Amino acid sequence: MAQMPALIPKEVEIQRLKKIWLMIIALGSIAASVEVDNFVDGSLHQTSIRDSAFTPAHWWLYSHFVALPIGWGMVAVYDRKVPVLRGPNNSMNTGLKMAILGYLATMFTIGINEMWHFWFVEEIFAVPNHWMFNMGVVVAFIGALAYVIRIYARLIELGAETPGENPYVAEMYKMALEGKLYSRSIP
Amino acid sequence: MTLPKGFGTGGGATSADVEQMIGRRVENMGGLITLAYIAAWLATFGGTAAGYFYYPWAYPTNSGHFAFIVLTIIESTGYLFCMKVTQEGSNKKSDGMIAVVMGSIAVGTLFISMFVGF
Repeated sequence: MAQMPALIPKEVEIQRLKKIWLMIIALGSIAASVEVDNFVDGSLHQTSIRDSAFTPAHWWLYSHFVALPIGWGMVAVYDRKVPVLRGPNNSMNTGLKMAILGYLATMFTIGINEMWHFWFVEEIFAVPNHWMFNMGVVVAFIGALAYVIRIYARLIELGAETPGENPYVAEMYKMALEGKLYSRSIP
Repeated sequence: MTLPKGFGTGGGATSADVEQMIGRRVENMGGLITLAYIAAWLATFGGTAAGYFYYPWAYPTNSGHFAFIVLTIIESTGYLFCMKVTQEGSNKKSDGMIAVVMGSIAVGTLFISMFVGF
């Protein structure tokens, strides 16, 4: 397995990666909560076609869609303390960038959505303003997954995590460490 | 090994320098994580209760409790992951505390779901 250069002491890096890991677990729980509210809000809109921005289901949805980009932004701030997580040309990690951009899209869609429903009251799942919620979440999930795999692979490399016993999974992490899992442009 | 300016004396890192770079170690964050978990659970109760106390026309109590139970499971899973990630590979073992906290939350969730809001 290719060894990445150690720019900070190993113990420091493990501790910092685990702190990022904790933030990701919290953000993953918030994302799961949004998914629950997807059903709550959807079932509400089957009975009341369009209520207002200020119902519990909407507080739940919108507050989480504000918390998520802020939380991932906080990860990005802390992420700078781990040199191996840097992206191309010392920029932000590509997966992290996608997670932030995806959730930012959902956050701004709150406003777009409210403007749309000012004129068109139908709460149909497939209206265009709702597409942006779904697409933003998908982009964010893909980016977050790439970032999580990167951190997990590094924790394995540092000896703080156990590699998967399944040889195919182990091979996947090995490829991720060598930069061959997705593309060489995604470190 | 590269250290920030001000660390070490004339090159090389001492264990004190490394400790300073780490700050609070993750295995010592158990209390903080537990408090955050309990706070999240209480906030979840508050949120769902706001639904069935103030908007009963839209949120029947049973629906609120269903959401409360599902969210409690999500939070409990996250709490367990956090505690295990922070303590694995260290001498710290808080399995007893984790069991007591999660058990209490489970009992509290059942109690609320059976007796509150009806």
